[in-house]
Amino acid sequence: MAPQDPNTPSGIGKRDEESVKVPAKDPKKKDEKKDEDLSEEDLELKKNLELYVERVQDPNPALQRNALESMRQEIRTSTSSMTSVPKPLKYLRPHYGTLKAFYDTMADSDLKKYLADILSVLALTMSAEGERESLKYRLLGSEGDIGSWGHEYVRNLAGEISQEYAKRQSEEAPIDDLMELVQQIVAFHMKHNAEPEAVDLLMEVEDLDLLVEHVDKTNFKRTCLYLTSSARYLPGPDDTLVLDIAYLIYMKFEEYPNALQIALFLDNLQNVRQVFQSCDDLLRKKQFCYILARHGISFELDDEMVAEDDDREALQDIINNSKLSEGYLTLARDIEVMEAKTPEDIYKAHLLDGRASAGASVDSARQNLAATFVNAFVNAGFGQDKLMTVPSDASSGGNSGNWLFKNKEHGKTSAAASLGMILLWDVDSGLAQIDKYFHSNDNHVIAGALLGVGIVNCSIKNDCDPALALLGEYIDKEDPSIRIGAIMGLGIAYAGAQNEQIRSKLTPILNDAKAPLDVVAFTAISLGLIYVGSCNEEVAQAIIFALMDRSDSELGEPLARLIPLSLGLLYLGKQENVEATAEVSKTFNEKIRKHCDMTLLSCAYAGTGNVLKVQNLLGHCSQHLEKNETHQGPAVLGIAMIAMAEELGVEMAIRSLEHLLQYGEQNIRRAVPLALGLLCISNPKVNVMDTLSRLSHDTDSEVAMAAVISLGLLGAGTNNARIAGMLRNLSSYYYKDASLLFCVRIAQGLVHLGKGLLTLNPYHSDRFLLSPTALGGIITLMHACLDMKAIILGKYHYVLYFLILAMQPRMLLTVDENLKPLSVPVRVGQAVDVVGQAGRPKTITGFQTHSTPVLLAAGDRAELATEKYIPLSPILEGFVILKENPDYREDN
Amino acid sequence: MGQGTPGGLNRQGLPGDRKPDGNDKKEKKFEPAAPPARVGRKQRKQKGPEAAARLPTVTPLTKCKLRLLKLDRIKDYLLMEEEFVTNQERLKPQEEKAEEDRSKVDDLRGSPMSVGNLEELIDENHAIVSSSVGPEYYVGILSFVDKDQLEPGCAILMHNKVLSVVGLLQDEVDPMVSVMKVEKAPLESYADIGGLDAQIQEIKEAVELPLTHPELYEDIGIRPPKGVILYGEPGTGKTLLAKAVANSTSATFLRVVGSELIQKYLGDGPKLVRELFRVADDLSPSIVFIDEIDAVGTKRYDAHSGGEREIQRTMLELLNQLDGFDSRGDVKVILATNRIESLDPALLRPGRIDRKIEFPLPDIKTRRRIFQIHTSRMTLADDVNLEEFVMTKDEFSGADIKAICTEAGLLALRERRMKVTHIDFKKAKEKVMFKKKEGVPEGLYM
Repeated sequence: MAPQDPNTPSGIGKRDEESVKVPAKDPKKKDEKKDEDLSEEDLELKKNLELYVERVQDPNPALQRNALESMRQEIRTSTSSMTSVPKPLKYLRPHYGTLKAFYDTMADSDLKKYLADILSVLALTMSAEGERESLKYRLLGSEGDIGSWGHEYVRNLAGEISQEYAKRQSEEAPIDDLMELVQQIVAFHMKHNAEPEAVDLLMEVEDLDLLVEHVDKTNFKRTCLYLTSSARYLPGPDDTLVLDIAYLIYMKFEEYPNALQIALFLDNLQNVRQVFQSCDDLLRKKQFCYILARHGISFELDDEMVAEDDDREALQDIINNSKLSEGYLTLARDIEVMEAKTPEDIYKAHLLDGRASAGASVDSARQNLAATFVNAFVNAGFGQDKLMTVPSDASSGGNSGNWLFKNKEHGKTSAAASLGMILLWDVDSGLAQIDKYFHSNDNHVIAGALLGVGIVNCSIKNDCDPALALLGEYIDKEDPSIRIGAIMGLGIAYAGAQNEQIRSKLTPILNDAKAPLDVVAFTAISLGLIYVGSCNEEVAQAIIFALMDRSDSELGEPLARLIPLSLGLLYLGKQENVEATAEVSKTFNEKIRKHCDMTLLSCAYAGTGNVLKVQNLLGHCSQHLEKNETHQGPAVLGIAMIAMAEELGVEMAIRSLEHLLQYGEQNIRRAVPLALGLLCISNPKVNVMDTLSRLSHDTDSEVAMAAVISLGLLGAGTNNARIAGMLRNLSSYYYKDASLLFCVRIAQGLVHLGKGLLTLNPYHSDRFLLSPTALGGIITLMHACLDMKAIILGKYHYVLYFLILAMQPRMLLTVDENLKPLSVPVRVGQAVDVVGQAGRPKTITGFQTHSTPVLLAAGDRAELATEKYIPLSPILEGFVILKENPDYREDN
Repeated sequence: MGQGTPGGLNRQGLPGDRKPDGNDKKEKKFEPAAPPARVGRKQRKQKGPEAAARLPTVTPLTKCKLRLLKLDRIKDYLLMEEEFVTNQERLKPQEEKAEEDRSKVDDLRGSPMSVGNLEELIDENHAIVSSSVGPEYYVGILSFVDKDQLEPGCAILMHNKVLSVVGLLQDEVDPMVSVMKVEKAPLESYADIGGLDAQIQEIKEAVELPLTHPELYEDIGIRPPKGVILYGEPGTGKTLLAKAVANSTSATFLRVVGSELIQKYLGDGPKLVRELFRVADDLSPSIVFIDEIDAVGTKRYDAHSGGEREIQRTMLELLNQLDGFDSRGDVKVILATNRIESLDPALLRPGRIDRKIEFPLPDIKTRRRIFQIHTSRMTLADDVNLEEFVMTKDEFSGADIKAICTEAGLLALRERRMKVTHIDFKKAKEKVMFKKKEGVPEGLYM
């Protein structure tokens, strides 16, 4: 057992008690008594040690050597308990000074080094704080095996090294001798399962490169796990440094999927290419493609990465998500939820008593619009529903074609577009079915059809670019609603694609002074989404000019807030890169300047967890505004966007938001529910649910609306019964208020998103990677929700479709080597944080065994329950390819 | 993460956090108050105002840079919160307003308030209540009462005239349990224990270290023991050691005697056990010391009387609390008995009580040490030769030695001597041994 750290309370307690034991009058008596206290062996040991100390000071070198040797023996062999200082060290305490003095008088020799070693160990318990004598004598002593003196000694030495290093750095003294010692210590730690300590020491001395030499097959996983989880909390640029090391280690041990994830996290496409080039197994490459597809970035393979043309095509197909619809439907069939649901199935009005059903007096257009959205959200991606896709000659009297016309004006846009949502990801049949609306003579329907085409193609790439071909010709039409439909469709279909062709088509609209503001706003957002996180200069310039051109009154309009946001999207998560643009934004019209500033700041640091920026935003929130300024809303959302990076940040941000709620003005209070919804999107946490439920009864109707929508986001795609119940009660509570009822309906639709098979969480792969397009879609909606009355309850309700960018099946679908679904047993349970734990701890708790495909809830993790197959990705989420285990033997 | 916080946030729905909006108010008709988020059984883990302030747990437990960074992160957020709140207070002091609100609430409550019992919740704003005397009433609930916390059977405050519900009594810790808490640490420390080195070490490893240094156990990858049982002959220092633990620890120390858990009414005993562990959990880290556990923990057999069955049920509750469905966090249990063989095996299985620490009769070395401890404050005559007593073959327990020393002192006192002589000790020893061996004088059969 390792000797107890001398600084811990129990160690001190023991030592104190030694002196307190007998309250004596004079020191002499005390000594006597103390001797009496000791048992016989202890007494003998003490005498021996005293003898050694005397002999060490003997002029005879042979005698000296002997004494040192025996002293060393005593110290090394002493076994001790956890709770006290080893006995030899205790008895040598009084002699530490004499030995030190004697050491200084000694002539240089082997013996001197020998003594230095012993002094170094003694200093472990005796040297004063900050003296670093242990290290001093270690450096003077012989360079023997460092581990022979025990763990605690090494640990103490490591601590002193880091102090010494900091001191020498400031004095710019050489550090070679220290580094040599560091080498030894790291090797020792890595050999003894103490990877965190080794990493910590190397971080202190800023030389993580050493780590790569010392990791081996048994410990690299733990080491890398520690590195990656530390990276989230390290200030820049240390964090990228740490991740680079982790990447190198993963590459060294051919753990390519993890390396790929780190490359994606750093947004380093060079490294992604490298991963492809260094792996030569086609099957594993397919798995990489699935990871890329889930992350939602566009990536072109070339012949350096994959040599064969056929293979390359197959791989590119996976990246293009062309099989997503198929996989999703497989999951739906397996879980047996293919049957289409009507909005009434979701509202479950029969569970409420009296009051609600009596409230049919509300204006029916809005009711129908709500039903359209609910229908679209619930049946998203299933390809069938009971309102839009029923064949028109159905016996019920042709409900289908008519549903569209049960909506008024702009309502028809959303209704037509909802068809795209129902046929999500299924490009071929989607385009065929939407086609009929193109021939309509109602501009709103055409606009909806255009938007629908965009939605169908969301996150799917196709070589013939059907969306661009279809939508391209409409963007310059006269009618603004058609233009918006086409532009928004392009934005959704090509989010993250950075398509030059679209840019050249859309930028002229931005510079067109005659274009109405709403068209300009949607153009800006579409460009922002297409170039999300790209820092593209030209697009930024175009948007900046568009902002500068607009008149004062136009900038005051609600939709104008989307233009600064689009600028922010360009720099999503890009941190410092935003600064140049932020400078420019200071010259904007005063009305929008601060708003723009906040939006840019929050977008640029989204998903970084940077506390300084949170502080900055909180500072803005603490001001009390005189005029009608709007910048505090984006600031509150910004806190959530930044803090959502890691679990601790989420928890703490929820606490901070509670304060904002207590002290803030109305415009802050309106944004707080949305921020809470963003922090826990698709993750129904009970405490947040309670807060939102309380806010949903707020006297301020906009706060209540935001809270209701956030309840929907909180439970998006979870079918959470508690939220569903809350919303049902709210629907009866607000039965007279059409706007709030509309919000409640939308929220109900969100909770049952894709009948509970979808998630909106932009984080994936064990909450490690953040999909930029998904986050872009969510924050666009959030910003639109900051002015609920004008946008969502007005005629721009189709901004709700921006959520499609974040929709992903929350499944684990295992496929065999031919990419056909394969059913295997898996254990699904709550994920456990295993960083820095010894041995092979359980990664999940409270698990259940299912067979794939299965649904994964927020915070769940899966592991294979059979040894027959080997997964090609360490993280079981989305599509995972299984390989047969060659060593597997059926046991009878 | 986040376990135990449900509902923590919704406690802040103070009446003061809604801005009264002048114009709005006039137009608005009366609207029914918003229904509570949840009616009926209240959340189990309601721990008063601290629940909201609870911080996320930080893993790993091992001391490492990652942990430091994570704790730093939490600290940063807390600093920001502090900065924000002080800023706000400076700009717009809430103190006064809160004070005003509070006095208004006090007015509404009236004084004195009577204490009653909530019988039944009828709807959001009405309930049936009863006071300890007299009939039940159907009364209103004032709007500022936190309805989430009301549950049938809880103690409430009622207005003295109209008897409406004006508040609820939070603290429902059984007074029986609150007396068990050791407020003043006992004087005995580890230094007052003669010998028992191995036992001290074991109890430190099993009880103290898991509370102070949980990371040591995680390093090795084991779960720390949950509890220990101390057993051995009477007078060998079991209770003394427990006292020393209480003296040295900063954790909450709850002490119970097994017989206290036996109550007059059916179901009270198990309830007391539940309360005890709930309090221990609330005040964790804590140590529960149950002395003379054989009072409730004897082997189960076919009980003949209701009383015996009740005792067994109390033990079953104890079993459940020690290692049942709900995991206990930082609660360590020390049991003490001198009849371990009569205890129920289920009580002693690993997982409930992981360590059994035996207290043997002192050997010669320990005996010497105990004599030293007890005689260190006595004035002894020069002729006293303690070795003689130390080396005898008689079986002394620690308590016997103390008795001998006291007896010798008394003998000296009787003769008004200032010093205790060897003869005194001899007599005292005979006397003590005589009593111990039930009337057979010492040395009769030698």
